This record gives sequence, C-alpha cells and structure tokens, in this order.
Amino acid sequence: MKIVVCIKQVPNTDTVKIDPKTNNLVRSNVEGIINLFDRNAIEAALQLRQQAGGEVILLSMGPNSYISSLRDGLAMGADSAILLSSRKFGGADTLATAYVLSEAIKKIGNVDLILFGRQSVDADTGQVGPIVAEELQVPQVTFAESIELQDKNQLIGHRLLDNLVQEVKVHLPAVVTVRDEMNQPRYETPLNIQKSFEKEIIIWSENELAVDPAQIGQTGSPTVVKRIYSPEKAGRQTTTLPTDPHAAVTQLLEELNN
Amino acid sequence: MTNDKVSAQNMLHRMIVDFTANELAPIDMKIDQLGDYPEGLFQKVVDNGLLGITLPREYGGAGFDYIAAAQAINAMAFGNASMAVTLEGHFKTISQFLKYGQPELLAKYLPSATKRIFAFSQTESSGGSNPTGISTRAVKQGDDWIITGDKIMITNGGLAQVYCVLAKTEDDQMAVFVVDQDMPGFQFGKREDFIGLRGTPVGEIVMDHIKVPDYHLLGEIGQGHEIGNNAHDDARILMGAVLAGIMKHELKIAVDYSKQRKALDTPLYELQTIQEKIADIAIAKQNTELLYQHGAELKTAGEPYSEIAAMAKSYGSRSAVSAGDKALQVLAGYGYSREYPIEHLIRDARAMEIAEGTVEKMNTEIATKEVAK
Repeated sequence: MKIVVCIKQVPNTDTVKIDPKTNNLVRSNVEGIINLFDRNAIEAALQLRQQAGGEVILLSMGPNSYISSLRDGLAMGADSAILLSSRKFGGADTLATAYVLSEAIKKIGNVDLILFGRQSVDADTGQVGPIVAEELQVPQVTFAESIELQDKNQLIGHRLLDNLVQEVKVHLPAVVTVRDEMNQPRYETPLNIQKSFEKEIIIWSENELAVDPAQIGQTGSPTVVKRIYSPEKAGRQTTTLPTDPHAAVTQLLEELNN
Repeated sequence: MTNDKVSAQNMLHRMIVDFTANELAPIDMKIDQLGDYPEGLFQKVVDNGLLGITLPREYGGAGFDYIAAAQAINAMAFGNASMAVTLEGHFKTISQFLKYGQPELLAKYLPSATKRIFAFSQTESSGGSNPTGISTRAVKQGDDWIITGDKIMITNGGLAQVYCVLAKTEDDQMAVFVVDQDMPGFQFGKREDFIGLRGTPVGEIVMDHIKVPDYHLLGEIGQGHEIGNNAHDDARILMGAVLAGIMKHELKIAVDYSKQRKALDTPLYELQTIQEKIADIAIAKQNTELLYQHGAELKTAGEPYSEIAAMAKSYGSRSAVSAGDKALQVLAGYGYSREYPIEHLIRDARAMEIAEGTVEKMNTEIATKEVAK
C-alpha cells in the first residue's frame, strides 16, 4: 500500500510571542513544527503500513526550512519525504497549494491513500485536503476519527461531525483528513531520529512537475485577504425547542413570525 | 560538529522534553510517594528506545554521544530525577562495556542493551568508593571464573538484568566481571528504602559461585580499580546533568510562585530578599550546566575529564540541595508542605552528595589534582 501524507509546517505556538507594540505574532526565530493534526495523519499512515505493508511518503510544500518537519516525520517512521519548493510556489493560497500537491501525487504514481490533518493550526481552513481530492477526482473522507481498511480497494471511515458520526465507505485511492481523536501520535525514537538523517529528502520544483504556470504561486491564487480580525461576539439569545416535533414546529413558527 | 549531528541532537532533546512532559512530569510526585515506578512506565522507556541512546548503531542503539546523552538526561531530570538516574546508571555501564569489553562479550550482551538495564556494582557492606576492602572473590577454574560475593546499593539493582561486578582475584588484585540474572547462583537481595530518588531502585545482588567464561572479564586482571573509577567519572558527568535538571525544576517552582503570590500588594518577585534567592538558584543551575556539559565534551573529545566530572557532581549536588532550600523558603509554608514537590527535590538532590562517591571524596580528588598541577 502506498500512502502519501501531506504535512504542513506551522509555528510552534509554545515559542510564539506577541509583539507588544503591534500585537502581531513575532515570526522571526520561531521554531517550525509539524502541524499537530498532521502528526495524527502520519500516525494513521504508520499504523496502516503495519497492518497492510507498503510505504509511507511524506509530502510538503514550502521553503527549505520545512525540511526539519519532514525530518521529524521521518523520525516517526515514515519511509521517504518529498519537499515541493520553489520561489514560484510562494504566495500560494489553498487552491494553488492543492494543485501543486496533486501534481506531485500524480508524479509519485500508484498512490492508494492520501492523508491530511483535518486542518492546519495556523490558517485553520481545512480546504487543501478536499481540493486535492477534487483535483485528483478521488473520493474523500473529511474529519475522520477512525479509518479501517476493508480490503485492498476499500476503506471505511467514520467522520466525527458536530453532533453525529457518519460512516462512509470509499473506494481507493481516496483522500482522508484526520482528526486528533483518531490516535495518539508516537514519539520519534532516538534510533529513528538518527535514521531520518540517512533518508534522502527529495526536492521538486516546477521543473520536475507538469504544472501550469498560471495555476501556481500567487498567480494561481484567487484568494485575496482583505483584513484579518477577530469577529465581535454578538450577544445572541438561544432558544431550545421542545423535543416533541409538533410542539417544536409550532414554537419555531411563532419565533419566526415574531 | 556537523549540522546533521546538531540537528539530530536537538531532535533527541525535543523528543525527551515531550516524553518527560507527557509521561514523567505528571506523575513525578506519585513516583516519590509510591517509592517505585508505576507499572508499565519503565516499559514505555524501553519501547521508545531510550535505553539505546548511547549504544552504538551496530548493536541496535542510536549511537548518540555523551554530550547528547547528558543533555537528554538533563531534560528528563527536569520532570523526574529518578528515571534520569536510572538512565545514568545504564549509560555509564554501557560506557565500560565499550571501553573495556572483549568483542565476544560485546556481541553477547550489547544487542540486548536496548531492552534491558545494565548496572555497575562496586559497593559492599565493607565500603563503597574505596573498594580495597571488598570481599567478593573471583577464582580461576580452568577457562572459567567462579564469582562469589554480595554487592549492595547498586543503582537499578533489581531492575537491571546484567551486572558488572568488582571482585578480587588476589588479595591485591581486582578485576571487573560481567554476570547476569539468569546465571545459576545469582540472586537478588533487598531493595534499599532511601529517602530520595525513590523511583530509582537501589538494591543488592548475591552471587553464590557464579561461573562465567574468561571473556566476561572487562579489561585485564588488576584493572578493576581503574574501571571502577572510570565508571564513577562517567556517572558523575551525568549526575551533574541530573542535578542541573533538578535545579531547573526548583527554579521554575520558585519563579512561578513568586509571580502569583503577593506580600501585601507587592508580588514576591519584586522583593529583594526573594530576588536574591532566585538569582542564587539560577546561577547554581547555570554553573552546573556548564560543568556537566564541559565534562561531556571532554569525554567525547577523548580528553581527561575526571576532575571536571567530580566538580560537576560535587558542586551540583551541594548546590541543588541548597537551591532546594532557597526555593522552599520562597514558597514558605507551601514549600514545607508535601503538597509541593520542593521537599522531594531536596531529598532527590541529597542522594547525589553520596552516590558515586561522596562530596568529600570528590573534593579530595579535585584538590589532589590541583596540588599536582
């Protein structure tokens, strides 16, 4: 089984400090770590490899400093790592990022499963995994709290949503975005740390991928961030409807009419 | 050092910090109260490969040097000094295997050193750091040696499965042999009920005519004292690391408390008398870090490190006890309470004014070397 785990490097929130003058994050000298949910995705991949055999390939897009996070993933036990790195990839939004990742996954070839963390802890969009599934035209299981291989070609995932768990059966290849409820990521062991330096981290730029220049980097990113702000908390009132459906509808209509 | 080596060392340090924060620090007080490691804890240490940190790759270990190992032990001691000392006892013994062991012995035992603890035993009821009065005997019988004797106060005694034992082959000749718990004639004795480092088992082994082949001899006949001293030196560097970790813990408790507690309307940390104590703890911690790190660097570089190792343990142990006392005073009534960990940190640190040679012996060794310069 060939599993690709897409990971993102994010600032270590333990070391992030706020500039008291600007109230912005001080990003210089901030340690980069693997996005927390992505560690759960790596753990899920390693468990599947243990169960079904095969290999776990880490994939990330970013500057060379991301190598440290790929190294961490290798030290958890992944087999190999690929970094997609080029100035031309810079400034990518979720669409352009997902496009480049998809092209890399096509180049890797014969991938059975693509895992993501459910979202990144810095941008919080949760969009890249689903867009990659669309780019590759494969099914997706988002917010999975568990996954189970049925056979070589099928997987059952349980999606943990706000108030329900949805069981989904998909054919492979597929994309799964992993929640932290799925597992407890393993520690990097001292031996695996040393071994991680013996594994090559492959770097691909636009030259190695069959990418459309119009769809990468800032050019390929339609998202425009106009402003970042904390929404004001509106003091809204919550009304709990009765459990009896008839009474609930009656009260709801009354509320709407008011 | 190469960039990769530094990066690997940093990754190891971060791994130990995470492991300690998740697995050890939350039960630090429990380990002290229990007087042992809770069931399953030691297995987690084994499963995560921590016994193999210094073991060369050819034997299945990670092959980190003593600098990385000392740093790892320091990070662990910040959360729990007992487990850090358990690793210290194992690493120093592995060092003696590597330095003095014959290839056949290394091939037989070292591949298992990622799964089981190795211990070094010198002390008998007749004496500890001065082993000339020991009564354990090794008698040559054909190609084998027959070992009989009783060793006490062994770090990890009872938990360890493989033991280096100092024995007399003649009245004036000493040597170190390797025995293991599966050999006929091997028995565990009592476990000590010490006041500090209560997680670390310290116990006794009894050897009744244990037969070992000749290659179980470390080094040569007559080298026993030297090997014993070398084991002390290796242990003392790591104990310096443990002590600096304890002081980091003491400092954190004192600083955190001084921020949250007020005397009338003034936070404690603004009071000069409190600042004095915090500064003293911080300086002692920093000094001990410099000593143990320098010792580890010298050992790794193949330079003499015996004196600096003695300094790390002598200065570190006295400082950590004194720093604990100062931290206790910052917390006042709470510091004196068993609800807070300060009192057990003092008990933990106190052990290292004695173990691996008393402070008085350290200072005699340091002074002797200084006078001879």
